[in-house]
Amino acid sequence: MNPDDPKLTAYALDEIDPADRAELERLLRDDPTALAEVEETRAFAATLRHQLATEPAYPLSESQRTEVLDAARRTEAWRASRCDAVSTGPAPNAASQRDALHANPRKLVRFHCSPAVLSALAASIAVLASLAFLFPAIHRHYTAMRQPAISVGEKDGSFKLAMAPQQQLPASLEIAPVPNEETFTPEHPAISAPSVSAITSSTSAPTSFTMAAAPIPVMKATGEIKSLDLAQAPTFKSTPAELAPYPKTPVTASRGLPTTMSSRMGGTARPAGTKSIVSLSASAPAQGRSRDYYYRGDLGGGGRMKSLGDLDRLDDGTEPRQTTDTASYEALADNPFQRVSDQPLSTFSIDVDTASYANVRRFLNSNTLPPRDAVRIEELINYFHYDYPAPDGDAPFSSTMEVAACPWSPEHRLVRIGLKGREIQRADRAASNLVFLIDVSGSMQPAERLPLLKRSMSLLVDQLTDRDRVAIVVYAGASGCALESTHDKRRVRDALDALKSGGSTNGASGIQLAYELAQKHFIKGGTNRVILATDGDFNVGITDQDDLIRLIEKKAKSGVFLTCLGFGTDNLKDSTLEKLADKGNGNYSYIDTLAEGRRVLVEQMAGTLITIAKDVKIQVEFNPAKVGAYRLIGYENRLLKKEDFNDDAKDAGEIGSGHHVTALYEIVPVGKELAPSLGTDPLKYQPAAKPVPEPIREPQANASPELLTLKLRYKKPDADVSTLREFPLTDTGATREKCSRDFRFAAAVASFGMILRDSPHRGNATWNSTLELAAEGKGEDRDGYRAEFVGLVEKAKALAR
Amino acid sequence: MPPDAAHLRSLLDRYERPLVRYAQSIVGDLESARDVAQETFIKYVETGGPRADGAGEADPRHIESWLFTVTRNRAIDCQRKQSRIIPMNPADYEQRSSDEPGPVAVLESRELAGSLLALLDALTENQREVIRLKFQNDLSYREIADITRLSVTNVGFLLHTGLKKLRALLDEQPRTAFELPLRQTT
Repeated sequence: MNPDDPKLTAYALDEIDPADRAELERLLRDDPTALAEVEETRAFAATLRHQLATEPAYPLSESQRTEVLDAARRTEAWRASRCDAVSTGPAPNAASQRDALHANPRKLVRFHCSPAVLSALAASIAVLASLAFLFPAIHRHYTAMRQPAISVGEKDGSFKLAMAPQQQLPASLEIAPVPNEETFTPEHPAISAPSVSAITSSTSAPTSFTMAAAPIPVMKATGEIKSLDLAQAPTFKSTPAELAPYPKTPVTASRGLPTTMSSRMGGTARPAGTKSIVSLSASAPAQGRSRDYYYRGDLGGGGRMKSLGDLDRLDDGTEPRQTTDTASYEALADNPFQRVSDQPLSTFSIDVDTASYANVRRFLNSNTLPPRDAVRIEELINYFHYDYPAPDGDAPFSSTMEVAACPWSPEHRLVRIGLKGREIQRADRAASNLVFLIDVSGSMQPAERLPLLKRSMSLLVDQLTDRDRVAIVVYAGASGCALESTHDKRRVRDALDALKSGGSTNGASGIQLAYELAQKHFIKGGTNRVILATDGDFNVGITDQDDLIRLIEKKAKSGVFLTCLGFGTDNLKDSTLEKLADKGNGNYSYIDTLAEGRRVLVEQMAGTLITIAKDVKIQVEFNPAKVGAYRLIGYENRLLKKEDFNDDAKDAGEIGSGHHVTALYEIVPVGKELAPSLGTDPLKYQPAAKPVPEPIREPQANASPELLTLKLRYKKPDADVSTLREFPLTDTGATREKCSRDFRFAAAVASFGMILRDSPHRGNATWNSTLELAAEGKGEDRDGYRAEFVGLVEKAKALAR
Repeated sequence: MPPDAAHLRSLLDRYERPLVRYAQSIVGDLESARDVAQETFIKYVETGGPRADGAGEADPRHIESWLFTVTRNRAIDCQRKQSRIIPMNPADYEQRSSDEPGPVAVLESRELAGSLLALLDALTENQREVIRLKFQNDLSYREIADITRLSVTNVGFLLHTGLKKLRALLDEQPRTAFELPLRQTT
């Protein structure tokens, strides 16, 4: 092949005509020179991209921006008054659009004439008129005789002068709302002490918490959230911008009461009032670049991609609904009902991740039902904010319990357990030592990956102070330190901006370097964390997940925790990231939009950066006099053995500042029938097994009226010995009508999750019953997340038809 | 905020800088470039931009092409109107020079940035423009063809020759080898 063939360049840039591709590749196979040429072109293209990105790009001035927005408002007003009578633009056909564009722009302007608007637009039209008038003539000439109109030297000479080092405007300008939030003067939120003691659960009312008396904090200036992509925004109701003044607690408590749940990972918070922004995957197919493809229905074994989520039939006989390309999800069977006589203890580790909700949202917004294994019900429930009281005194968290009728099985009861971590004021926050470990492999190139990551990280950097330090390690093919640990935020932003993608991924050695850096600058008593941002691909080096996990575990013991941020869609290694975060004593979030990036890295930052308690375990003992069987909803991959509860060497989840955790148990009261499959046959050779020798309450004499006892074990962040707390709960028989809003909403979310997972335990739950519950539980919903949830349920309902 | 206004804001945030930069590469001075970009957005607001069909919003890629096309057209008009280029005042630019040495990778890129971008001047105007559209704004051959009204083949050819020339020029520079930040290993 002629190495000077433009087709080679086109091929190198992925612009080769599909018709020519096969032929070209055939020729390339035998032509090492041409192949080398292609590689060099690719490398050069990457350099060029990188360099060109450093050229300054200035925004419009504030007044110019305002003018544009004013014009929009005027046009909007005009359109509203016209009641859509006018068609909105040039012909749909692209070619004719193009011609209309080039040939006669003035005509387009006239299209929307109306007396009111004309006068309003007079100013801009006057400016445009002269240009438009000349335009057709000029354009015709221009294409015929293109001449460089400017002396290159003169123009570029002075232009280049501006090419001195850092030219980008401060990142804070780009992200308008954030500096405002940063400059809050922290006031303490007037959260009054709850009338019910925060530590003991209420035994009288079904609603066991009180609303704090603080004016409900809300997000301000929320309309400004920027999104990177232009995909359609779903039609969610947005709440008005005039909200009550925010009682300015610093970022950590910016979530205050009504903000969404902050699970450690996953989900991004959406500030009140913004429309939810659809993830980029919605637009991907239109771009023709998407590698997503979905299998629907049963294609049989051969048609499916191999992935972790692609395990064979699950134990309960259901099929995985569908898998998406190479994204991998761990298969989990729903927790079954347990008889109290067999298993009086239920033990699990808490989990504040919310990645699953963001992921499910992303699927639904792309008009696909999520694969059932992508749905982790506890993460869905934990995405939302519930009104739990702040902890008392020194306690790291408060615990709340409520029990009422189970909506999808009226004979059963539903218990809701909630824990809320204490909020640490930003000013009191210890210093942070962060290392960003960023995947810059080729797969990270699309806009919803590395560019989104960079912007999201910048948001985080904006929240840091001089006491904090940041280093950046990149990995792709080989790992490199892109930035030594520094206090200087500007340098951090510069380094972030400079990141570009290319190459393949070797996650492990990058991780080693990142931990080394973190350890080198370890801050005693502070937050030391590695933040790993990737689409999950680790395709060179340690690919064995177990080896990787061992590495992370070892490092976690040294006091440096790990946060995982997942990006991208078709290659998301959800299970890997969740495991790593779990073993790394950190959390896992999935970031699909900038709004989510903001939620995770700004609003949740406190939770991410400040651990209130670690290795938090829950053990519930059920009273066999009251409870026949129980079922823990969700937390399937968080279950612990009962002896692990008291074993301090066993790792469990962390609670960060302001985080809260909710768990639901479905209870079959004594005397009710269990479904036949739940009973086990009587033993043939032995009498029936006795329960574990925990303090046994005599069922006959002094029968306790309690339903269950909740036991919690947790450690202070730098402690090795755990503390135990116990809370009993008595069922007062609250009916469905009596339960709290939050209870209903949590039940709605659980119901939704069970339907999506096609759970055999979903009872009478249907889309409609879910919607009903959600509507009942919605409440004020200041941040709009609950409304968004309702929208998602509607979507799923429509898709499931 | 009405849906369109939020959409507009997101468009502004996403495209105002690239469009100003692109316009600036045609007209030369920042202020004219800003005007051009502003006019583009206003036109978008008034005419609704490209609409694939009457209902709903257009494909984002169409919007992007449309924005660049309009910007280009206006910029060219503007350039024609200005018979001479107003020399730029460096004070117009908000400079943030860093007195500390940046991290190795970033520093190296900055040194290179000067030389590579200066080399762009040695290309023909068409080559330069096409290279900017492709590598600075991530547009495809097809989109570049739509925006510049060149044929796709022509675009491919311009990119090919432009890149070739740049590489040849770069090789002649004192620094003969350069590395991507990625390739550094520690």
